[in-house]
Amino acid sequence: MMKSNEVLSLQGVGKSFPATARGGEPIEILDSINLSLFSATSVAITGKSGSGKSTMLQISAGLLSPQRGKVLFSGQDLTALGDDKLSTIRSRSMGFIFQSSLLLDDFTALENVAVPAMIAGIPQRVAKKRAKKLLESVGLGDRLDHKSDQLSGGERQRVAIARALVNDPLILFADEPTGSLDERNAELIENMLFAMVAEKEVALMLITHNKAFALRCDRVYNLHNRSLEVVQ
Amino acid sequence: MSSALVSMLISRKLGIHSSRSAKKRILYNVLLVTLVVASLVFAQLFVVSMSNGIANKYALLGNGHLQVHEKPGTTIPTHPEIVDVQLVAQTFSLVYSPSKNLMVRLKGVESSYFNEERKQALTFLDPPLDANGSTLPQVLLSTTLANLLGVGQGDRIALMMINNTSLRPQLCIVGNLYDSGYKELDENLMFCDISLMEKLFSTKADTYYEILVANNAIRPVRQFLEGEGLSVTSWDQENYAVATNLETSRQAVLGVMIVVAILCGYFISELSRELIEDDKNRIALLKLLGASNALVRSVYFSTVMIVTLISILLGTALGILLGLNLGSMLSWLALRSIPALSFYLLDFPVTIPLLDIAKIVLVLVLVSALSVVWSIRRVRKIPLLQSTRFD
Repeated sequence: MMKSNEVLSLQGVGKSFPATARGGEPIEILDSINLSLFSATSVAITGKSGSGKSTMLQISAGLLSPQRGKVLFSGQDLTALGDDKLSTIRSRSMGFIFQSSLLLDDFTALENVAVPAMIAGIPQRVAKKRAKKLLESVGLGDRLDHKSDQLSGGERQRVAIARALVNDPLILFADEPTGSLDERNAELIENMLFAMVAEKEVALMLITHNKAFALRCDRVYNLHNRSLEVVQ
Repeated sequence: MSSALVSMLISRKLGIHSSRSAKKRILYNVLLVTLVVASLVFAQLFVVSMSNGIANKYALLGNGHLQVHEKPGTTIPTHPEIVDVQLVAQTFSLVYSPSKNLMVRLKGVESSYFNEERKQALTFLDPPLDANGSTLPQVLLSTTLANLLGVGQGDRIALMMINNTSLRPQLCIVGNLYDSGYKELDENLMFCDISLMEKLFSTKADTYYEILVANNAIRPVRQFLEGEGLSVTSWDQENYAVATNLETSRQAVLGVMIVVAILCGYFISELSRELIEDDKNRIALLKLLGASNALVRSVYFSTVMIVTLISILLGTALGILLGLNLGSMLSWLALRSIPALSFYLLDFPVTIPLLDIAKIVLVLVLVSALSVVWSIRRVRKIPLLQSTRFD
């Protein structure tokens, strides 16, 4: 059972990958992972490289299927849904921020932010209005018509944050969002991310190596030996 | 599905508001398909026009569009599409020149036979000899036949007369030379006055009425004449082998065109495959942002089909434009007297075979659409996580 404001629930999730492309003894990445995430709260997952943090995020977002367990998102088991239904959920209820901003390089900042809204069926005019407002709120009001290659790394990441929030998602998945930024820009993005989470009451699942960044979350877990250990 | 988003993505794929390399790539593909389509349309236009030109030569100089096999003096009823009626007598005869003899088809015609329409189908090379200059009957030969016989204007030839009781030669004089532009027809066709035919061959000559019709109205006019109780044949029955060969050639060429169009469709599917392959990360990102496979497919389908349709339109226009300038090119070739082209008709009016072009275009569009649908299936197989592999 999910609690009323529970957005995401991982129940006994396990995942393994084949040792080689041709198969072989599978390598266990995650084992019996249990995690709940509530709206307006943040959880950080830390761990060594290769520990399975990103795999856990991808399973949580329905991008990968686990071999065992359930992934309940707003009460719906993502592992039981088809591609189209998952697309709809990703479009309307999830936001993604990755280490690389992953912008459409021939689109302007405004268009990049408006795209997920348009995918969700929002009329172009409304989507662009909403995108403009969000870009202004992340300090890019004067960069609306700039294309990806005309923006700095920090600016591109701010566009990615605005894009992740354009459909008022229930949850934000952030995989090393400051991993490729300098200290000053990283801090700016961190502040912006937490401000947005508080303002929009979004749940945040953060994957990071950065201990200080992780400790700003409500809860912190360390992924070690295929299991989650509570840090905070 | 957001149509505005689809349009936005298509416009970027087409190179509008896009980088120079993207524009170059699309232009290259448009150019390639345009050239293929233009070649197909031009080739079809050439073949059909030449076939029609040859058929027209046979109709105008050989047998008329229709033949009414009735006795001289029969009244041919009028019809709005009948433009000319001529009484003609024809037979096959041996012709002797000082150096050679040949079997020819001899047509006896009245002086009104070479009307404006027929004059347009041939060229008289010399002014005719003075009719009073010789007591010998005059005949009209083609330059091809004259060359075969080794004679020219004013030279004498002998026709072997055959009647019910005797066989004897009749001396004639070459009154003029003509060239229809088609050697197959010219090399055994000779004209003389119909009165000479009656005199020389009497009952051995086949007498009939040659009818020319306007607007390709052969079938309705034939039905009309048959309805009047007349015995009628058409040019393709009289020249069955030629007509069948022309139609077979036309169909064979159209078949080849369609095969080339199918290959072109395969090329277009390769274009969509390349576009998708190059855009794997973009597609994965769109899917990550919630775009369905159907939305992404519609973008690539529309993009490739727009490129295809633009190319087909441009190619068709270019092919027709080239075809319309075919006349001057063929005249230039005809003047060069290239031996390899001597058996081809190099002087014919260009006709645009709209139905054949429509068939080629339809096949291209259908094959392209099917091949693109087939190749964009791969969109589904692109993993969502492809986009995060930049890291």
